[in-house]
Amino acid sequence: MPQDTSSIPGASSSTPQAPVEKPSAPPVNILPSPIARIYSIAHPALLLGLGATRFEALVADPTKELLSTLPWLTLVQIFYVIVCLPPAGSTPSPETSTSAPADGKSSPRSSGPVGAARHGKHGKRKQHANSWACIWSRSLPAFLSLSLTFALATPVLTILLVLFGAPLTTHNSETVLCAAHMAVLSATALIYAHGVDRAVWNEVWGIARPADAVWGSALGTGLGAWFGAIPIPLDWDRPWQAFPITILVGAYIGYALGSLISRTPFVYGKRVKFTSEDLSDTEKKTN
Amino acid sequence: MAVIPPAGPMGTSQNPSGSKSDLLATIPRSSDQSSGGQSKRKQDGLKTLELENEFKAKHFGVMGVLAWILLLHVAGIYLFTKGFLLTRMVLENKSSCDVLPFEDILAQPHTTALGSKQQKGCWHEKTFDKAVVIIIDALRYDFTVPFAPKGESDTVHLFHNNIPVLYETAVQNPANAFLLPFIADPPTTTLNRLKGLTTGTLPTFLEAGSNFAGTAIDEDNLVAQLHSAGKNLVHLGDDTWQALFPGYFDTNLTHAYDSFNVWDLHTVDNGVTEHIFPLLQPENSKKWDVIFGHYLGVDHAGHRYGPNHAAMASKLQEMDRVIRDIIAALDDKTLLVVMGDHGMDIKGDHGGESDDEVEAALWMYSKRGIFGRTSKDTLLPPQFARDRFVPQIDLVPTLSLLLGMPIPFNNLGSPIEEAFAGASGNNWANLATVNRLAAAQVKRYQHQYALARGAGDDEESALLWNAAEEEWKFASKGFSSKSTAARASNELFRKYQRHTLDICRALWARFDVPSMIQGVVILFASIVLLIIYARGLNTDRTQLTSDLLQFASVGAGVGAVAGSAFGLTGLTEMSMVDGAVLLAAAGSILGAAPAIIKKPANMTPPLPNGMWGWLAFFFTVSQSLGFASNSYTIWEDEILLFFLTTFGVCAGVSSMRQKQTTDRVLGVYHSVLFVILGRIASFSRLCREEQMPFCRSTYYASSTSSTSAPWQLAIPFLVTLFLPSVVRSFYAGSKSYEGAASLWIGFAFRFGLFVTSLFWILEGADDGEWLPVSEETLKFVRVFLAQFVLVLAFAAGTAAYFYSKPCISINVSKPTEDPSSPPAPIVAGQQQGPRTKVTILGFGNIYGTHFCFLLINFALAIILMQKPMGQGAIALLLWQILSLLEILDTNSLTKSNSSIGPVILGVLGSFYYFKTGHQATLSSIQWETAFIPLTTIQYPWSPLLVILNTFGAQILAAIAVPLTVLWKRPLQTHDRVPASNPNKNPATRILSDVVQAAGTHIIYLATINLATTMWAGHLRRHLMLYRIFSPRFMMGSVVLAVVDVVLMVFAVGGVRWSTLSVAEIFGW
Repeated sequence: MPQDTSSIPGASSSTPQAPVEKPSAPPVNILPSPIARIYSIAHPALLLGLGATRFEALVADPTKELLSTLPWLTLVQIFYVIVCLPPAGSTPSPETSTSAPADGKSSPRSSGPVGAARHGKHGKRKQHANSWACIWSRSLPAFLSLSLTFALATPVLTILLVLFGAPLTTHNSETVLCAAHMAVLSATALIYAHGVDRAVWNEVWGIARPADAVWGSALGTGLGAWFGAIPIPLDWDRPWQAFPITILVGAYIGYALGSLISRTPFVYGKRVKFTSEDLSDTEKKTN
Repeated sequence: MAVIPPAGPMGTSQNPSGSKSDLLATIPRSSDQSSGGQSKRKQDGLKTLELENEFKAKHFGVMGVLAWILLLHVAGIYLFTKGFLLTRMVLENKSSCDVLPFEDILAQPHTTALGSKQQKGCWHEKTFDKAVVIIIDALRYDFTVPFAPKGESDTVHLFHNNIPVLYETAVQNPANAFLLPFIADPPTTTLNRLKGLTTGTLPTFLEAGSNFAGTAIDEDNLVAQLHSAGKNLVHLGDDTWQALFPGYFDTNLTHAYDSFNVWDLHTVDNGVTEHIFPLLQPENSKKWDVIFGHYLGVDHAGHRYGPNHAAMASKLQEMDRVIRDIIAALDDKTLLVVMGDHGMDIKGDHGGESDDEVEAALWMYSKRGIFGRTSKDTLLPPQFARDRFVPQIDLVPTLSLLLGMPIPFNNLGSPIEEAFAGASGNNWANLATVNRLAAAQVKRYQHQYALARGAGDDEESALLWNAAEEEWKFASKGFSSKSTAARASNELFRKYQRHTLDICRALWARFDVPSMIQGVVILFASIVLLIIYARGLNTDRTQLTSDLLQFASVGAGVGAVAGSAFGLTGLTEMSMVDGAVLLAAAGSILGAAPAIIKKPANMTPPLPNGMWGWLAFFFTVSQSLGFASNSYTIWEDEILLFFLTTFGVCAGVSSMRQKQTTDRVLGVYHSVLFVILGRIASFSRLCREEQMPFCRSTYYASSTSSTSAPWQLAIPFLVTLFLPSVVRSFYAGSKSYEGAASLWIGFAFRFGLFVTSLFWILEGADDGEWLPVSEETLKFVRVFLAQFVLVLAFAAGTAAYFYSKPCISINVSKPTEDPSSPPAPIVAGQQQGPRTKVTILGFGNIYGTHFCFLLINFALAIILMQKPMGQGAIALLLWQILSLLEILDTNSLTKSNSSIGPVILGVLGSFYYFKTGHQATLSSIQWETAFIPLTTIQYPWSPLLVILNTFGAQILAAIAVPLTVLWKRPLQTHDRVPASNPNKNPATRILSDVVQAAGTHIIYLATINLATTMWAGHLRRHLMLYRIFSPRFMMGSVVLAVVDVVLMVFAVGGVRWSTLSVAEIFGW
């Protein structure tokens, strides 16, 4: 299957020269609080549900609907990341080091002794969560992630949409708004959880992140949008075949599926492989 | 073009480690080992000769394998085509004047002497003695009626309202003239149309194949009937008539003109006009009975400029004057008919079955005032062609009965109402009579046809016929209600005729399904074999050649003999040729299969490997599946862009994973470049009718034109300016811009492109009449320039390719020079003792840069053959190909012979087919490009030139296929291969890799071809068969055959010289 993501050509501008050598950031875990765990599962479903209710309005007037729902989508996403995800930098390192060996081949873990250990910490966290400081410590990354999402991710995705064949001379507002929705879906959590960690972003451009809820939803958004383009040329004469409705629907579905599937023990922590193992080992290029 | 970042010491790093010292021995100039003695040198020489001969022999073998694959494809396509293209039995029966078409012929009251019949008319009393039939080629209906907007945004075009005479007369004097839309049966080529207009029968697809052979009509037809009735016929204009009706026309009065030179708008028309008016003078009226005048100017103006051009307007105005003059010169006894044989699409071409192509106009005029309208609704000519139209076959019975001729035997048309309704429009008795005659003839024909195919008559039509006869009898008996009965009978006869027409349409859409299945099976089996051969073997493919070819030819021979024997003995229903073709192909497949899968140890499962393999598989298969849908076939260009961008994004992602910084940066750079170039190219579009209104054509000046806009003439100059520099930057990346490269790319290529730009400027000057120079002079200069470019590309280019040294520069220097300068040139080797440093620049891409000359030669020729917009597209294609090669190299895909390279080249070829102003429709063929370097049609050059224009993108991509394994391939000579296999000739390894890449490329195209073939066969009753699926199938087949030939002869064939050229310097 082709791997496709939302943000590759951006790599050209931000490609760092240094080879990736230090162990990259481990997969991101949903915060252990019960609210976080429950909401993290409810969130994709909630987004899909809300999206379904707005579908007819979207078909009727895409630009207006996309524009009016964008703030709400942003709010929901921000709420999700603040409630469910550890902010960049503040990720408690002991937790990750104990539960995620840095070789990226960590075994799926969601139950068993680790789970029990989390319950211990969970009690401590609850006290912190009440304090304003904690909220402030999460608001700053959230603000950062919002601004980067709109300032960087949206233009990058817009360019990508055009490169994939979105009209350049017409439908500009649709393209930009579609890119903005996709950016809010995919980039908000990524930036919130990882900040501007170069190693992580190198992995993102290379689609080499280990699977977790954050990366899975971002990759799912891109793949979903890719598949969403497929029905557009068909001659069914349905109003929803207009650009960019199917792409957005695909992105939302991809987001939800990616977010949920990547958390399952079978997928969690695994990476997308491009070449078969032996090939990459024996034919290392010397150039 | 930004210069590619220098990629470090290319040459050395590509060598297997430890080979630096070995290299020295293979460089003749630096091997200072005279002490080694003559014997060793002799031995080396012998060995070299042996290796060279082995390489040459195996090279021929590999080409033989490709030739075999080509033959398999041809056989499969032949078998399928034979069953798929519709055929119709041609009945030899002729109608005759004294035999009425009724079964109860004796019951007819007015059997009189033959002589008086000839006087009064055969089957029906004649209305006119003489006729002037003017065909204005490609006279579309909307040219002839006042402009009526179809939508809000529709505005008057240049082709509107320029030939008002037809409409005016029909409105002002309805009894003297009528104007109707005149719908052609596709294919809308002139030859097929003339057949339909004279025989009154439907064309079937097989006859389309003989379009350019121009065979005489042997069916009963109007011209033959007129001729046998002793009429003196005159033909003026398009010489297609001469091919169809040899010997029927008065040799003294007839003047035929060459019809194919679409550049020439006036010679034919002036000739017709010059000769027709003297004949219309009263003193000459006895010399002729019927004149057929065929004007071509409108058609040529459409082909050359498109309908929305001043040339079209003035041509239509000229036609308007001609018709007015003819009207003025006409006498009472003569019927004047003016018609188009087909229409033209929005850019002036025709051949297919889109609405614009089939909607012609028919106008009849007489000074006697005999035409009528049966209802008020039909008083005015319809605004739009689809409102109220007549099929073109209706002309035959109408003209026959008006001139007192028998209706030709095969006719399926109906008499046109306006011509027989009488001036007051209520002569129902006459209408019923003519319709009964026509229906009876149709019935007679149907009966004969059913007998010939051994089938019974159709029951429903028999019922209709009987009902009509009842009414008819009633009408002839009764007196008071005669008119209504006649009217009812007339209607029933008409219904019968149309019903039979429908039956015939369905009948002749009869496919030979077994033959189609045989073709599909052969194509499928050849793909399976090719997949195993190209993707499922991990051994040297050249070793299989001799067995493979022997077994295959033995199998083919046995099969051919067996097939012929079956055919001769009549055991099967197949003809001898078909049986031989089928069994020969099957036999060679069965014979070759064991030769390929002889050793299971050499086989690997030919499954996609890794992400790239799956991506290649996915592109091929998903595109093939998509052809089942008319939407994906229509929007193929957009889908290919989507695929190419997907590949570029994947390449960027994969490049990000590369460990080496240079690989990563170069890979990402070229991936981004690749995607952006593809998107830029996608702005060049020529929309097909089905893409409307979601598509805007940019290939020509406007959507209704087939000339380039003035600003587009700048594109060739931009190409001249930038393309050589772009190519140079790819050579410079591996320091290979040395030797012949700087001369050939920097000078010859650029000069050729410059001359090409001049050519197209002159072309534009001719179209726009910018220069005060005569058209002949311009044409002469243009032809000279074009021929010069072709000679430069093919003659000089081939010579340069054959004899030039590899693109390297070798320097021998003393070691005193600073060895540690940072951009260190390639240090190829060092000797012991007093060291001489041998520096070889361009070592890292020694095979690729030489072979790339071939690509550049073809690019030059193909660019010449494209319109300016297409030149930009081909330049972008060349750039994208080179960029692709760098992507393959930085992602280690050249050395692993990944399938993605050849497959993406296939996608690129298909994509740029659309970007050079083509579509998968017959009408998008740019026939006029045959005249770029020639003034007249010359075989075989003209078809080759059109192929070079049409499939230029696919040809260029195919030429580039060997580069997917040659680009930056490290040098391999026999003393540098791993010791495990000392007897192995490394040059055959190259051949094996090249044929693998070529095979993979063919797999892509053959799969596409198989898919389009299967879908066309499966959807043979689909409404869109002839508009969408059938043209795509034909395109896929032709592309496959063309690319097979190009790959075999030029791409794989050309590898011989680049390998020899390298071996000459570095040994074998």
